[in-house]
Amino acid sequence: MFRKILVANRGEIALRVLSACRELGVRTVAVYSEADRHALHVRFADEAICIGPPRSSESYLNIPQVISAAEVANVDAIHPGYGFLSENANFAEVCEASHITFIGPSPAMIRVMGEKDRARAEMGAAGLPIIPGSDGVVADEDVAKKVASEVGFPLMIKAAEGGGGRGMRMVRSKRELIPAFLTARAEAEQAFGSPNVYMEKLIERPRHIEFQVLGDKFGNVIHLGERECSLQRRHQKVLEESPSVGIDPETRKTIGNRVVEALRKIGYSNAGTVEFLRDDSGKLYFIEMNARVQVEHPITEMVTQVDIVKAQIRIAAGEHLEDAVGPFQHRGHAIECRINAEDPDTFVPSPGRITAFRVPGGPGVRVDTAAYADAVIPPYYDSLIAKLVAHGRDRAEAIARMHGALEGFIVEGIRTTIPLHKRILDDADFLAGKFDTHFLERLAPVEVK
Amino acid sequence: MAKKLKQVFGGASDIRGVDLVEIERLLAFMQKHGLEEFEYEAAGVRIKLKKGSAAPAGVIRAVPAEAAVSGVGHVHAATHAPIESAVAPAQPIESTPASDLHLIKSPIVGTFYGAPSPGADPFVSRGTRVDPGQVLCIIEAMKLMNEIECDVAGEIAEIYVENGSPVEYGQPLFGLRPLGRK
Repeated sequence: MFRKILVANRGEIALRVLSACRELGVRTVAVYSEADRHALHVRFADEAICIGPPRSSESYLNIPQVISAAEVANVDAIHPGYGFLSENANFAEVCEASHITFIGPSPAMIRVMGEKDRARAEMGAAGLPIIPGSDGVVADEDVAKKVASEVGFPLMIKAAEGGGGRGMRMVRSKRELIPAFLTARAEAEQAFGSPNVYMEKLIERPRHIEFQVLGDKFGNVIHLGERECSLQRRHQKVLEESPSVGIDPETRKTIGNRVVEALRKIGYSNAGTVEFLRDDSGKLYFIEMNARVQVEHPITEMVTQVDIVKAQIRIAAGEHLEDAVGPFQHRGHAIECRINAEDPDTFVPSPGRITAFRVPGGPGVRVDTAAYADAVIPPYYDSLIAKLVAHGRDRAEAIARMHGALEGFIVEGIRTTIPLHKRILDDADFLAGKFDTHFLERLAPVEVK
Repeated sequence: MAKKLKQVFGGASDIRGVDLVEIERLLAFMQKHGLEEFEYEAAGVRIKLKKGSAAPAGVIRAVPAEAAVSGVGHVHAATHAPIESAVAPAQPIESTPASDLHLIKSPIVGTFYGAPSPGADPFVSRGTRVDPGQVLCIIEAMKLMNEIECDVAGEIAEIYVENGSPVEYGQPLFGLRPLGRK
């Protein structure tokens, strides 16, 4: 086991990693920017090193500073958390070159999964279903017709060299295909200098389903079940739950096995999350993989009793999967509400000083947070201030516990999205398990007083 | 409260007339008798020792009686057994250099070297007159030697770090009396 680990992150995930290290008897080193001088991760680590001014690019994302801190503190390993440098293959390589173990997948794996097209090609080749579409650029109208007949409607035509909606067209029928194809090409040429477009099936009311995986350095891989993360706003997850009510045991088993097989084939190790879109008929399509621990990992931990962060550290230290993970079963249902320092209706960020802070407790309630009364939420980083997790024997109990937990969570001095979560939990469609990634857009806006 | 790295004391056994062996004895004395604070003055030297929250750590103020200068040197206490063995990691002292000095702070994390190579003369000492652009020290980071330059014209009044010790971003290295100030 490592003697000392540096946590290259801040906020609640830094505290999460510190806990895991403490339990494993590993000494900890925190790094912090000047804006985080009074942060809890600085206070609770065994050692702390200031690595820069408030801006992330000059501190938490500053590879030379982080590595220098690791060397000066003489650590054995670095845990990157999520965000920041966690999916930076260069950083993982610099760690290796500095003889510091990077707690995560190999640089090569991070690189593959970081390039979305490449990831889809690799995982498709390894046996996972991917969204049907053209094989790269659609050369001409004949190819476009052929692809459309295979993929079906509705479909999307997208510019190969850029995004932001330019060179993009939705096509609902054969009649619309060629005009849309030609216009998309013209627009793409105008916007990006290249008329190249590709085509893919459009899943209109997708659900976002992801599988948590863990692999060791000896070729063993397992999955810990799936998470439903359809409740998103502008592609940021707001509420997650596990298991998904949209996944039946048969699908879970089949896709789970295919995920494990694919990752074994490509030699994936440490933690990761394999993301899918699920269409109306229940079919899953791989979209991308996150080669790191995720924000919403606690719901899987509550359901399986596996400590994913400890498992990551143990895997990185060379343990075999079954020792690193331990025995587990799936029990009950868990929900996570991401509490952000934002206005619950306008989502305008609300940094500032927290004047009152009381977290809920009781059976099946877990709160991962680095906030505290009198803390100042800095404006330089993301607005997540707490992850509120509720577990129950079934979905109904988890929801009931979350209701109580939200009622009992008091934060004053800043605005939070707690009221938004209360509205979600009251929504009939949510309660019935009827939602997709457009759910939050449809959630009736509150009257502005 | 920012914690700094434990700084291990090395090198000279006395600094500005203060006998550190004596200081260690005093710290042990404090520990033995459960004292929180200890102050004494003798032979033109006043010593005040105050226990930190986690361990007996000393803030050593050596104020020679004849000096009228406001700047004082701060030194991190030696963490030797038996003092260290009794407690959890020592609560290091926050360096609080005098406020009228111009501070040169470390722009990076690394290891501080006061001389261009081992055994060579230090770049600067107390009293050295310096100009903008003049190299004051080297901070080694990731096997690269970074020269830290002065940004004002003046005189070195204080050096806050030991040769070979780790430094963090923003840590005061030198206190300068800029030209034109008394």
